Amino acid sequence: MWTRTVNGRALHFYLAGINNQNFLMRDKETGTWWQQIDGKAIYGPLKGASLDLVAYDELTFGEWKSEVSGGQVLAEVPRYSKKYESDWEPEIAKLPVVISFPGTELKSRDIVAGLEINGASRAYPWDSLVKQSPVIDHIGVTPLLVAVAPDGKSLRAFVSRIDGKDAEFFLKTEVKSSAGDPPAVAGASNSRTPESAQASKSSGPPAKPWLLLDTGTASEWNFQGCAVSGPSRGKCLDRVPVLKDYWFDWRNYHPDTTIYKR
Amino acid sequence: MPTSNPRSRLLWICLTVFAVVGFAAFMFPAFIIRPFAYQNPKALLWAMAIRQRAPIISLLCAGVTLLLVSSLWQGTRWWTKVLLSAATVLVIFSAVMSRLNYFEWMFHPVDSAKFESESSSKLDAKEMILAVRYGSDARAYPIREMAYHHILNDVVGGVPIAVTY
Repeated sequence: MWTRTVNGRALHFYLAGINNQNFLMRDKETGTWWQQIDGKAIYGPLKGASLDLVAYDELTFGEWKSEVSGGQVLAEVPRYSKKYESDWEPEIAKLPVVISFPGTELKSRDIVAGLEINGASRAYPWDSLVKQSPVIDHIGVTPLLVAVAPDGKSLRAFVSRIDGKDAEFFLKTEVKSSAGDPPAVAGASNSRTPESAQASKSSGPPAKPWLLLDTGTASEWNFQGCAVSGPSRGKCLDRVPVLKDYWFDWRNYHPDTTIYKR
Repeated sequence: MPTSNPRSRLLWICLTVFAVVGFAAFMFPAFIIRPFAYQNPKALLWAMAIRQRAPIISLLCAGVTLLLVSSLWQGTRWWTKVLLSAATVLVIFSAVMSRLNYFEWMFHPVDSAKFESESSSKLDAKEMILAVRYGSDARAYPIREMAYHHILNDVVGGVPIAVTY
């Protein structure tokens, strides 16, 4: 998702083609061709220009509604409503890929969450994220917190720093995710507490909200990365753009990417 | 192809060249930039360059081709007329298609986006959305819709954005 103002002019984009299964778009004002995944102009009068990334989240509608009030939802276009599919990913998974990167443990259409910090990129296999959320990691010197909500689908990433100091987080409440597997408790030791082990055996709906505890201030943090109680109350972690993508597509545009392993 | 005199031969050669160039102006980019095929970086650059200029190239070639067809039509055999007709169809097809965005036939754009409040939306809670917020303006774009339309130009909190998926 991109801002579409370049050199002070708002551009209007349209679908124009495809480049190794990542789509190309053109702007009506100059006819320049842009790559969708990285917002770079690759041919035309504005070649070399880059669009600015818009901070956005990929969430479930339920998660989003719990966080905002007065929000607006894009309505269906009635004449195309039969074209919309909620379960399109299994159909897409059957389609062939035109590029592949053998030699890694990931398959072309494995879903990853991709992060890029200061030019360094890392792919987090989705299945691992769901099982291990929240994940504490570093890309270079930047500490990161990558979290999947209890719905097993909503995703966010943050710089894991509070007031300029690296912070570590533990899941306060073991909540059974809708993905089926309870998330592991993440943190420095990456080990389960007795309470979490007990909770993971329960099969009832979650009774407590999803909250993280930081080891530095012992504050409670919600899925928006904001402290809701404790000394850090009112503070929010810096968000990091994260892209949920197929491995082949992420790898194609991030040739030096590493893969998260735990 | 009747080549009984040098003038006729020259006209046929010119017809072939303009018909091929006119058709290629559309067909080459269409062939390179097609789904489920590998796009070589250099070939892609050529395809974008030609596509950029295809409307004028194909129109010029179509005009010249039609003039040449009309010059060659009289007194030719039936199978020659078939060739001339084929050349005519190809260049007109190319001139028309060079001005059309057939990708939007497959994935129609949202001409005029309409929004509804979160409270009145019938979207299921488990549906995935792309969520954006600028100031107090919070918007959700259901992925089931964006996966079809692919692009939406919108303004959120006064900021022009391109929602892409």
